[in-house]
This record gives sequence, structure tokens and C-alpha cells, in this order.
Amino acid sequence: MTEKIITEKNLVVRHSKLELIEHWAIAVSGLVLLLTGIFELPVGKRYYIITIPGLEWSADFITSLYLHYSAAIVFTAAGIFHLFYHGWRGEKGLLPRKGDFAQSLAVIKSLFGWGEEPPMHKYLPEQRLAYVGMAFIMLMLILSGLLKTYKNIYAPDMSHTVLLFATWIHNIFFILFFLAFGAHMAAIVLRPNWPMVRGIFTGSVRLDYARHRHSLWLDEIEQNHAAGETVTGQSAIACGPDPVSADQPELGQESPPPSEGETENRKPEERKETAETQPGQ
Amino acid sequence: MQEKKSTDLSRRSFLKISAGAAALNCLSLPAEAATGTETQLSTIIDLNLCDGCTGRKIPACVDACRTINKNRIPPVVANIPEPWPRKTIEDWSKKKDVTDRLTPYNFIYVHKAEIDMAGGPKTIFVPRRCMHCDNPACATICPFSANSKKKNGAVVIDQNLCFGGAKCKDVCPWEIPQRQSGVGIYLKVLPGFMGNGVMYKCDLCNERLKEGNLPGCVEACPREALLIGRRSDMEKIAGERARAQNGYIYGKKENGGTSTLYISPVPFELLNKTMEKKPGQPAMQPDVVRRMAGTDPLGKAVLAAPLLGLAAAGFAYACNRFFRRREQVKKEEGND
Repeated sequence: MTEKIITEKNLVVRHSKLELIEHWAIAVSGLVLLLTGIFELPVGKRYYIITIPGLEWSADFITSLYLHYSAAIVFTAAGIFHLFYHGWRGEKGLLPRKGDFAQSLAVIKSLFGWGEEPPMHKYLPEQRLAYVGMAFIMLMLILSGLLKTYKNIYAPDMSHTVLLFATWIHNIFFILFFLAFGAHMAAIVLRPNWPMVRGIFTGSVRLDYARHRHSLWLDEIEQNHAAGETVTGQSAIACGPDPVSADQPELGQESPPPSEGETENRKPEERKETAETQPGQ
Repeated sequence: MQEKKSTDLSRRSFLKISAGAAALNCLSLPAEAATGTETQLSTIIDLNLCDGCTGRKIPACVDACRTINKNRIPPVVANIPEPWPRKTIEDWSKKKDVTDRLTPYNFIYVHKAEIDMAGGPKTIFVPRRCMHCDNPACATICPFSANSKKKNGAVVIDQNLCFGGAKCKDVCPWEIPQRQSGVGIYLKVLPGFMGNGVMYKCDLCNERLKEGNLPGCVEACPREALLIGRRSDMEKIAGERARAQNGYIYGKKENGGTSTLYISPVPFELLNKTMEKKPGQPAMQPDVVRRMAGTDPLGKAVLAAPLLGLAAAGFAYACNRFFRRREQVKKEEGND
């Protein structure tokens, strides 16, 4: 993970390009799986979905299966890649920490005007909890989906007990995946989370936002920089510590500089020049 | 005259083949044909032998099937919930006597085909019911696995699990399963919005097979036009009979292969022309392709996807380590 503070552009690189690719591969394939999974139910004709232009195929279960399989290849491969690649790298930033439940409650309460938000790491406590939940949902969907796929091709006479187990796991976790996706979208709607949205498109978030909300994360970056850990210079290194890293300027998108007030309100030690570190997660 | 000769020849051939097969495989023994539920079974429907039970009100196979299954469907609710938004209700509970097509109360019917042959007109009777496919899309694609294929080849719908969405009917090339609204588990969930009854079709009398009995239609046929036995044996007999009749086989390759082998003295293209495809009256189109077979390569790729992800992760990680090491070496050289 190449996390960089780029003070002059008021940016912090939050996600590498590889992470962006992983996220969007899973997100897009997951959406296709959700849609084609719904179309594997007999809803196309009943709910007149076939009358919607472009969705005439929605009642053709075999066409839906082609799409479902295609998306499942990406979803499964990306999920397994994510698990092993970041696991081998020892990245634990998205894993829950002690006290995440209580902190999540505090964050949610603060969104409605009750109390102050606690200082946060790179990820919000509820993001870490949601990550584990989503990972478990994905794992169960993948395992049950693989079993169902194996049955479709090689073992149509598979034990009915095993088949029922796989089918209902797949159906139940399909509903949970749908709910989790809805919750993910709902989190984006919340105004305090808006600055994070750009991060998942461009890889970086505004520095002033990060200082305000993810102070523990910036502290980590700066402490690591101060400790002189693997300082690499200003530009990202192709296939270096992280094979592909995303930063805002590369993507040609400018972000507004911090407002005067925000700059003035910063602590002196926050007004640093560009710092780059690879702290790992 | 020519027809009679042909029939006699076929009859003799049949007896000969049956005797030989019985000697080899004990196929004539009902108990052998119904050996438990693990042996893969096939059925032969010999159209050269079926006479449609013309002297009876209802063909014997149809009658036996109806008798065995007369209490299968529970009482239909008085007010069948109207599905939303498409308001299709299929209620056969007041038309239980229909025997000339497939219905939830009638799992087999006999089609009468008048064929104009070179030697004159010929009448062929074709019992129609579920083919019990080798890889049945109706079962594999059922969203609730209410429909499943058994080890013995029977494709069975569990009426306690079926929501009656009719997906099985849509993916069946012969549109065999038939729906009865107003019964089933959907009534206890969201009857207006989800499900619409239960799908019914022939289950090869799987419960009777478990008890060591023959399927009703096979047992009842007075001319032994229907046989059941080990898959390999049945295929052998079907091949021999077809050769002896200079006839044709249907069901061996159709839809990727089935557990039902029709033997006919006339080409199935001609039989199919006599079958106007109507609800509950399937056609007999030749060379039926198993549509799901087209998805198999993608399915195999899905099964390989975990390895693909693992290999990609290993490559990316190795690449990462390599460049990190190279960078460190460069740095150390710079410091020197």
C-alpha cells in the first residue's frame, strides 16, 4: 500500500490502483450477480420485466446463467486474490479492532448530532465490521455457488441433502448480500462520508478531510515517515512496493486546496511538505 | 398385409430379444428392474408394441398412473390467491378427468399419430410423459432445488418445496411439468407476490421403485410396450430392437441424453409432424439440444476461478517482493 500525503495538492493517497481494480471488479461483478441472480427466479415474466427495453432477456434463464457464470468468474477470482494477496502482505487495516462495536455506535450517534466522532484510523470502525460481514457473505456465496456449479456440470444427481444445503445457503446469503449492498449505498448517502467516495474512484481523499476525520491514520503515516521507514521519494514507483498505486494527479483530477480557515486551524506540525511512506496496513 | 408382416416380424424379434436379454440379464424379472434406488435405470417405450389400448376407455398406462397418483395433490384452497401483477391462475382441480394431455392430475397421455407411409397409412400410439433427462435443466436450475435428479435417473419434484414458479416448465424442451395453483408452500409465504402453486409431473414412480415395485405404467401395460431396467441393458435392448425393426430411437441423445428410449418403426420427424405443440401436449422434435450445455465451459471456468485468483495473487505478491527487494538494493548501493 502506497499511502502518500501530498500537501501542496491537499491530498492523501488512500487506495492503490490494484485495490481500486479489486474493489470495482468485485462491485461490478457483484452487481451483475445480484441482477442475474434475481433473474434466475421466475420474475421476468411475472413482473413484466421483459417489457422493459433492454431487459427482454430477463425471463430467459439460460441467458441469465451465461451472465451469472461470467460475473462469477470475476467475483470469485477477485475475492480469492484479495484474500490471499493482502493476507500474504499482512495488511490488517480492514480487520476489526477491539472496541469497534462501541466506536461504531459513537460514530453513528454523532451522525445524528449526538456526541463527538472519535478520532479514526484509515477506515471507520463500522467499515471494518462491515468488511468482515461482507467477506463472510462473499465466502458463503462463493462456496455454495461453486457447489451448485459443479452440480450443474458434473453431478446433477448430487445428494439432495447436500444440494438443499448449498441452495439455501446461496439463497439466504444472496439476500444478505443484497442487504449489505444496500447498507453500503446508504453509507455513501450520509454527508460526512461523501469525501470518501472520491477515494474509491480516484484513489485519494482530501487531506483536510483526512486530518479532520482520520487523524489516527495520518498520525501513523507521519510517524512512519518520521521514523524514516522506507522513504521512497515523491513519485510512485511502478510495480514497486505496491505494483500499481493510484494518486490524484495521475488521474488528472484536481481537488480544491484547503480553505483558509482550515489551513489556519491546522496544527503547525501538520503543515508539512510531501511525505511518502509505505507503512503497510 | 405388409403392415401385418412387419408387426409379426417385430413381435418375433421382440420375443427373441426379450428372451435373450432375460437369459443374459434377468431383465424379465420385475424385481431386477427395480433394484433399489442406486442403479441407474432407463425405460423403453416401444411404439411398435403400443396399441394405445384402443379397446379401453383409458389406456392402461394412463389409468394406472392416475390411480397411483390420485391422492397426490392435497385439496386446493377454496379461494386461490390472485398472483400479482400477472394474474395467471392454473386450476385443474375441477378438470381432473382430462386424460388427453399432461395436467397436474395426469402425468402421462397417449398421442395417436396417423402417418402416411409409402406402404399406406399407419397408426402409431405414443405414450408421452417426462423423459427423465440425464442432466435435466428443470432440476439443476430450480431455484429452491425442489426438483432433483435421483441416482436411479428419476427426476422428482418435491411438492413440499416447490413454489410453482414454472421455471422447470420453461427450461424443459418438452414443457412437461404442469402447475396446480392454490396448493403448496407458497400459500404460507407471500402467496400474492411469490410462487403460484406446485409443479407436477411423472416421477417414474420413485416411491414404488424404492419399495421394489415397477412404475405403474410399466406394470400395467398389457403388451409390454414399456420396460424398465438397468440403463446399459435397456440401451442394448433398444438398439437391438431398433435394428430388428429397421426402426428409430428417440431419447438417447435428445437434450443431452435421457432415461427414456422410444423405439419407433417410423422416423420421429414424421411422428413430430403429427404433434402440434400445444400446452400439455409436447412435440417430439428431433435433435433437441441441451441449452445448458452451452454454459458448461463458463461453468468450468467458474470452478477454476479460485485457482486463477490464487495464481494471480501469488504472481502479484512475488512481483511485489521482487521490486521491493530491488528497490532496497538500489537504496543500499546509493548509501554506499
